[in-house]
Amino acid sequence: MRILLIEDDSLIGDGLKIGLEKLGFNVDWFSDGADGKEALSQAPYDAVILDLGLPGQDGLSILKEWRAAGHKEPVLILTARGDVDQRIIGLNSGADDYLGKPFALMEVQARLNALIRRQNGHIIPTIAYKDISFNPMTRNVSRNGKEIVLSPKELSLLELLLLNKNKVLSKETIENKLYSWDDDVSSNAVEVHIHHLRKKLGKDIVKTINKIGYILGEA
Amino acid sequence: MKKLSLRLRLIIFFTIISCIVWSVAAVLSWKETRENIDEFFDTYQLALGRQLAAADWQNISPESQKITDKIIKNIYNSEDDDDTIGFAVFNLQGQMVFHDNENGKNFAYSPTTGMFSKENIDGDVWRIVRIPSADTKYIVAVGQELDYRDDIVSDMVEEFMLPWLIGLILLLVSIIIMISTEFLPLKKLTQKLKTRNPDDLSPLETTKIPTEILPLIEAMNYLLQQAEAMITRERSFISDSAHELRSPLTALKVQLEIAQMSEDDPQTRASALKKLELGIERSSRLVEQLLALSKIESSFAKQSNVNEVIDWKGTAGQIIEEYMPEAEQKHITITSHLSNEGPAANGNPVLCALLLRNLIDNAVKYSPDNARITVYVQGGKLEVINSETKVNQDILSRLSERFFRPAGQKQAGSGLGLAIAERIARFHNCRLAFENKEEGFSVSLLPL
Repeated sequence: MRILLIEDDSLIGDGLKIGLEKLGFNVDWFSDGADGKEALSQAPYDAVILDLGLPGQDGLSILKEWRAAGHKEPVLILTARGDVDQRIIGLNSGADDYLGKPFALMEVQARLNALIRRQNGHIIPTIAYKDISFNPMTRNVSRNGKEIVLSPKELSLLELLLLNKNKVLSKETIENKLYSWDDDVSSNAVEVHIHHLRKKLGKDIVKTINKIGYILGEA
Repeated sequence: MKKLSLRLRLIIFFTIISCIVWSVAAVLSWKETRENIDEFFDTYQLALGRQLAAADWQNISPESQKITDKIIKNIYNSEDDDDTIGFAVFNLQGQMVFHDNENGKNFAYSPTTGMFSKENIDGDVWRIVRIPSADTKYIVAVGQELDYRDDIVSDMVEEFMLPWLIGLILLLVSIIIMISTEFLPLKKLTQKLKTRNPDDLSPLETTKIPTEILPLIEAMNYLLQQAEAMITRERSFISDSAHELRSPLTALKVQLEIAQMSEDDPQTRASALKKLELGIERSSRLVEQLLALSKIESSFAKQSNVNEVIDWKGTAGQIIEEYMPEAEQKHITITSHLSNEGPAANGNPVLCALLLRNLIDNAVKYSPDNARITVYVQGGKLEVINSETKVNQDILSRLSERFFRPAGQKQAGSGLGLAIAERIARFHNCRLAFENKEEGFSVSLLPL
């Protein structure tokens, strides 16, 4: 899950980036409104966390511009002003959810997962495929009811494949979703993670489509 | 009497004055009537005396006395008016030769004639006059009981003072009613103020208020207006402060959560703890500045009477000295031109030092490396110029707003430094001016 975070407060931005990455998200963090606005078109984000009081350009006008330009990414708004009027204005401007400061990381995680799930058309929190089930909230994976331990990147890869069942994902798409711009990605990183997934979850879990990419399920 | 209401005092005053005036009038008219009555009866007594003196007392027979007695008895029986006049006739030897068979019987003989005298007869006081008869052989005494005169005077005075008394009572009642009605707006106002909600700072009604009280109401309305402005300011300050505290709290919470999650990752944990410490420092600075701001606001309200001579030169020099190490790290040079001709001669030295510190701190913090800062205190003006800084024209006027932080700030700050400086300036009847000059960005403190 790749998340775009636009937050001007250095300690909050830094904390959200590190915290959410520990929870299995890939986070690109911008502290300036104008830069953050442009970033949405540059990478395939699953969700956006947007602070309202931003230097450069304020959050609400960024959101309005995005919606006017046809961006459909779910947006979670963060703000210090938690009054009802502000919430209504935010939600009417195209926000999908609203979180008042101070908040807990776990709440951000839960809301992001709910937003992404809704965006992908899933209502039940657990995603199942054959004998594998995955809970994006607890990030537990089990096969035939037995828990399987996966690394954070393997989890993200599995989640990506499950959410795009029966679709071919190119190596580039997977890299974009799995890594933020701050990460150094080795050329065979995706292959290594696929190899590990097959070892832990069974050989047939992911099929390789030559020269195109990878698929979970039938093409 | 001190606490007696104005209404009651007016009523008591009018009552006493009216009663005194009425009493004086009553006494005067009693005296006047008394004199008139005396004169009237004296004339009557003398007339009767002269008639009796003209009679022929030589040939008076015992029969005449009997006839007279009968006549007088008849008069008595007819219960005619009793004017308590009595008479007696004496010869020069002091023997009573004739009397009215009534009060006159007891009259005493005296050779003195032509004068009225008060005499005691049977326990009553009589006014008696004696006149010699025409042949000078007899003396006629005519007297009247004084009580009778008093009764008549009292009756007369009573008769014409009574309507006045009724008038007086009516007058007093109308005065009480009138005063009470006039005081009704005041009473209503008191009641309204008593039952007023402390939150309700709307102005008091000024219609139907007498012109004498209007200035008072207007003064109160002005006070209410001031109070409302102050409360609004305080409320927005509290609400702004609460919002501003939410961000550092969020930062603390998030960093704490990361530290808790990173038990297996000592590096991340250490970094999170470091940032937690930074966040706590930032929060305490914010709280300190909020406290400073609220202290200035409250001393503003109290018109704090600290009024000492301000040593601009010494204070500025000392603060510049303090910031030297920080400036040197960034290769910033600070030049100063200090005299004691500051923008205010007297004031609160602690607040002025805080103002200077905020301006110099901002200059050092927000200037890029190798910049030049110049501090002037001369000609009734304080000015700090940063050589390399330019502030966007449209945010110049917002710099001293509370919590205002221009876009793209890399330095941590609360947005309160200049707001505090501005409040201190106002406190000393000065103002802060921001300007982009050729030499750089200038902040100056000028007298209003």
